[in-house]
Amino acid sequence: MALSGIQIYKLLPQTNCKECGFPTCLAFAMKLAAKQVELGACPYVSEASKKQLAESAAPPIRLVTLKADGSEVKVGNEVVMYRHEKTFYNKPGLFLRVRASDPDLAKKVAQADAYKVNYVGMDFTLNGYAIEADGDLASAVKAVREVTKRPLILISNDAAALDSSLSLLAGETALIYAASESNYESLAEVAKKHKAVLAVKADTLDALADLTQKIQAKGAEDMVLDLGGKNLGDWLMRSTQVRRLALKNFRPLGYPVIFFAAQNGVEKEAVYAAHAIAKYAGFVVIDTFAPEMIYPLLVLRENLYTDPQKPIQVQPGVYEINSPKPESPVLVTTNFSITYFAVANEVEGSGLPAWLVVTDAEGMSVLTAWAAGKFDAERIAKAIKGFNVADKVSRKRLVLPGHVAVLSGEVEEELPGWEVRVGPREAVDLPAFMKQALN
Amino acid sequence: MPIEIPKDKWLGSIRTVTIGATSAEGGTRAKTVTVGGGTTMPYLHFKAPTPNKPAIAIEIKSRKPTDWSPLLAEVWGEAMADPAQWAKKAEEAGADLIVLALTVEDSPEDAVKAVKSVLGATGLPLIVWGPGQAEKDNELLVPVSEATKGEKLVLGICEDKNYRTIVATAMANGHLVQARAPMDVNLSKQLNILISDMGMPKDRILMDPTTGALGYGMEYGYSVMERLRLAALQGDAMTQFPMIVTPGFEAWKTKEAKVGEGVPEAWGDWKARAVNWETLTALALVESGADILVLRHPESVKRVKDTIEELITA
Amino acid sequence: MNHTLTFTHDDKQASVTVPTNTLLADAARLAGIDIAQPCGGQGRCGRCAVQVTEGQVRRRSTLRLSPSDVEQGYALACQTVVEGDAAVYVPPQEKIERRLTTDRVVAEVTVPDDYEYPFSQTVRRVHLTLTPPSMDDQTDDWARLQTAFRLQHRFEAVTCSLPLLRTIGSTLRAGDWNVTAIIETSRLSDHQTIRLIDLLPGHEDEYSPLWGAAIDIGTTTVTLWLVDLVTGQVKAQVAEYNGQIARGEDVISRIIYASKNGGGDELRQRVLETINELLERACKRVKLPQGKVTPDQIVKATIAGNTTMMHLFLGIPAASIRLSPFIPAVNHPPALTARDVGLNINPEAAVDCLPGVASYVGADITAGVLASGLDSAENVTLFLDVGTNGETVLGNRDWLVTCACSAGPAFEGAGVVNGMRATTGAIEEVWINSDTLEPTYRVIGGGKPKGICGSGLIALLSEAFITGVIDKGGNVKLDAPSPRVREGAHGGEYVVAWGRETESGEDIVLTRVDIDNLLRAKAAIYAGFTVLAENVGIPLESVDKVLVGGSFGKYINVEKAVQIGLLPDMEWSRFEFLGNTSVKGAYLALLDWRKRERITEIAKRMTYIELSADNSFYEAFTSALFLPHTDLSKFPSVAEVLEKS
Repeated sequence: MALSGIQIYKLLPQTNCKECGFPTCLAFAMKLAAKQVELGACPYVSEASKKQLAESAAPPIRLVTLKADGSEVKVGNEVVMYRHEKTFYNKPGLFLRVRASDPDLAKKVAQADAYKVNYVGMDFTLNGYAIEADGDLASAVKAVREVTKRPLILISNDAAALDSSLSLLAGETALIYAASESNYESLAEVAKKHKAVLAVKADTLDALADLTQKIQAKGAEDMVLDLGGKNLGDWLMRSTQVRRLALKNFRPLGYPVIFFAAQNGVEKEAVYAAHAIAKYAGFVVIDTFAPEMIYPLLVLRENLYTDPQKPIQVQPGVYEINSPKPESPVLVTTNFSITYFAVANEVEGSGLPAWLVVTDAEGMSVLTAWAAGKFDAERIAKAIKGFNVADKVSRKRLVLPGHVAVLSGEVEEELPGWEVRVGPREAVDLPAFMKQALN
Repeated sequence: MPIEIPKDKWLGSIRTVTIGATSAEGGTRAKTVTVGGGTTMPYLHFKAPTPNKPAIAIEIKSRKPTDWSPLLAEVWGEAMADPAQWAKKAEEAGADLIVLALTVEDSPEDAVKAVKSVLGATGLPLIVWGPGQAEKDNELLVPVSEATKGEKLVLGICEDKNYRTIVATAMANGHLVQARAPMDVNLSKQLNILISDMGMPKDRILMDPTTGALGYGMEYGYSVMERLRLAALQGDAMTQFPMIVTPGFEAWKTKEAKVGEGVPEAWGDWKARAVNWETLTALALVESGADILVLRHPESVKRVKDTIEELITA
Repeated sequence: MNHTLTFTHDDKQASVTVPTNTLLADAARLAGIDIAQPCGGQGRCGRCAVQVTEGQVRRRSTLRLSPSDVEQGYALACQTVVEGDAAVYVPPQEKIERRLTTDRVVAEVTVPDDYEYPFSQTVRRVHLTLTPPSMDDQTDDWARLQTAFRLQHRFEAVTCSLPLLRTIGSTLRAGDWNVTAIIETSRLSDHQTIRLIDLLPGHEDEYSPLWGAAIDIGTTTVTLWLVDLVTGQVKAQVAEYNGQIARGEDVISRIIYASKNGGGDELRQRVLETINELLERACKRVKLPQGKVTPDQIVKATIAGNTTMMHLFLGIPAASIRLSPFIPAVNHPPALTARDVGLNINPEAAVDCLPGVASYVGADITAGVLASGLDSAENVTLFLDVGTNGETVLGNRDWLVTCACSAGPAFEGAGVVNGMRATTGAIEEVWINSDTLEPTYRVIGGGKPKGICGSGLIALLSEAFITGVIDKGGNVKLDAPSPRVREGAHGGEYVVAWGRETESGEDIVLTRVDIDNLLRAKAAIYAGFTVLAENVGIPLESVDKVLVGGSFGKYINVEKAVQIGLLPDMEWSRFEFLGNTSVKGAYLALLDWRKRERITEIAKRMTYIELSADNSFYEAFTSALFLPHTDLSKFPSVAEVLEKS
């Protein structure tokens, strides 16, 4: 259980010595509570307090890292059921399953490996490949390794084949899929030998928890869980139960989860993968390389793993309201979502067409952003130019929020040729302003 | 070793809300749609079964829309010019409900006529949206409400600056209301309080937390919905209304769904991507507790319905 | 059955005979006595309390009355019926208002018990008698004066400014070598230093007043107390809107204005003008047998104010205050003189700018904490400064945390269409009859209303809400059955006073925009202290006392402030209203160097919590942006009132 600032304060020396870099012990305690500093910064904290504070901070879901020469995928370390409670930290790895028996194996992997899609300035790719050992695993691994540097999952029950294949991947951390009641001893040996992560599979959660403990006793520490389940509803319950148990510090199930999206047919693959991304999977394996599916899945993953504690923002850009025409006015506001909604809804409700330019004010409202220097003439001008607004309009009319009327002169200087108008302070007065003042 | 599954003990539940009235109930609908009633977070059957599965509504317009994606025009074809025909096709496509969106071009007479023709063409319960401008909404929805007294329509969309007229006419004519607040738990709750304070019975309110499309703020609505659902289960009466969301409207506004040419190759096949966009937006909202999903493409309708079926039959 | 009632009011008696179950208010009216019922006879306001001195009555409601009130015979005339012959005393209205359990009036300023001039004071007057120079004693004037200090007062190192040095020769001679020195002793450093502030001819009466000023430079209001440092008494209290308002209502606008060409200098001049004007006004208020007081007799000024105001007052660039990482140029300005800063008082007067903590927690708050005594409280105490920057301090003698949020000037009457400061002509209390929606109001000074001050706005917002003029979201219900509810230029509005009743002849109204400003102000303050408490892990219920500071009026109706969700819903007895704590803290520091040191200590001990670090403040703010709050269960007493109405 996390401690509050005051609770932590009581464990500190309370001398306000400032050596930690904060003005008071309480200030330091608050930072500790927010996990923004390390306890080590306090030179005088007692051993007893250290112990107590450490206990309150251990992660309930094991952090598992798959590594290859070129990249790594970290999953686990999650601390909440719902993203609003804190955030989801480590995005699930999206892996493409390929077959060892496939004559086009290397070509397919090479094609998938080249896949890159840009979403709001970030480049997304697949995270790695799962090789199904329906042919010779070692030669498949060799072939795949030649065309990609991303981490691998090896799907096989054959300990010897796994052993020789993993020997080809020296210095990497791969994932072995999957240990079950019948083969866990040999697979645990292999996993231990190659420092690989071991997926564990059982029909029930009870059996799964037994198995992870047995494997742990064999000396393999890094595991991921395959929860089974006959359909989405069944899997959702299991996944929820595992997350819930883990968060209550039930260690035998405190591991990330792996999910195969095409298990009930490729036509359901997109929906299955989306469901797993939303509901606690650590690794999601798909069978089809289809950009029209992978792109939305990557965006979904990005959306759900965005930190919700950050101010809610809308995408900076030009928003078209009520089908604006070249002569329609250009309104400008910040990218704080509530501000945007207030303005957009009022204008939309008025029925009057307008171009709404949303500037990047780091998610602050007009006043706050202006106060913090994030919504000034320079930034407004940059947005107008950057979004090529001038190309869209025939009459260059720019309406500033009334709260920043003081900026009008500077904006005029920054944007020669624009007619700068000061709008109302409140969004609710926009329709009247647009009807009366902008005609 | 048997594991003890931790279960939360919830004090509250989602209200059960029925839309539409059959002739026995004073309306003309062939059937009614009941949503809500949930007592757990969505689809957690180890706690309790899902009493009513989410309903799918298909959105149609009173006039042929000019700004809809060609992919939608392709599937609905000529029916788009006639709300009655469109509604029939929507019913065939598997809709549980019809959403009829009126337009600014409609006169009050046009609006009443369109609503009546849809009611005549299908036996499904109906949700009617104004064009989204306060004055025009009130101008159209009041006569629609009066002309359909007893049908138990859902009238929308109520927002904090414009709710009194719509709520008053819905109360007087036995309809329901859709209450929309901009992706904020508090604002949703505040609007529900304002509407309840007017005397609207609590089983005639649907809350609309505002939907963002995948990639365009979907996650904010997603978390707001989870929070509203949690608050409802914790016993907060003003968040215990079923939720209606509009993934169709939002997803089909996005470039990813709307545009087929001049987009990155990495976006893949247009049609499949567009339908995925709508489906995945809807699916995420199903996970976070949506009770009514308003969609546009028949294929998304089918996929979302199939998914819901799987989720409730664990 | 009929009963005889005898009413006593204004030393007059009147009798009337009425049947059983007649309301006392109705009986009084029959007897020709009009008992005020501002809330429309619904037992909400308690203004109609009367004292039944003899006989039997039945009280339907005793809301607003304490058990001891009832024991003393108090009853609400609108809620009490006759059951037998009785004698009833109708007290004057002011007396009732003083009794009300909801109202918190600022206590009169009293000189602290431990004030001991000159021991507590850094400034004092000493007499010196110098040996006149002669051909035998060729010591220069300045050395002669220093010798006198050393021999007669054991003051070793006395310093003196050049302008003063230029005058000492003539002063010594004018006083025939008998002079009165006004000196400042510094006890803050290890070795005592003495600075000469003034030298006057002759021996002034040692106990005649020595003038000092305590000044609070608020973003919206500047408050000044003129103090006799010898007795410690406050002789005049004056206040005025800060002249900088013309250049922006909030600190941010001012900072930005100041960073432009000449803006800083203009703002400094503007606030100086305001203060200098207040100095004149305060001096004029003081009538002494020995003659007029003039500002140049003031020898010490202690200044409190938020960090921005302090920077602008001193002409120090303030730009870094608003930009991340929000570091001010100075939290604790050094000792200065009036000449340095430009105050029109004795140019050598000591100007002591009190220390602040951070960019958004300034000397107004450290002074406020001193004035409130929070830093020595045994139990956890909450101190709220309801000002343009809503500052909150939570803590006790062991720890202090603080935060600030921008509330806007609404509670000081600025940024509200008919708002004004709490001076003559301000409506300071409002009740609305829930049947007729007609208001009853009280005006400071009793004349025609000019506007509404902070306490009046709190009452008005609360009444409009409780009586259903506005909904919980602050929307004016235009369908409400009253001509006072109408569509105005900015949406719905409510007419508090028709033009025929007002000073200007214009209607006094509360508009939708005013309501939004008030809601934002109260939500910011409520969110500030709730998030602060949450941050440190202290449940609000465990707060022992809530101390409220602010310059919105002489009193606050706690119930109304709770009803709008400005203050937390807890027993009214836990609230104390302290008025302007910033000027009070400055006053205490002006008097006593030990208290001045305590402020420095407070500034060191306070932990500042940055509210904008995550979105919990925003969450709390939105949920508080409702009447009384989105979560009504946090306000059980308000829920109860709503249930009844």
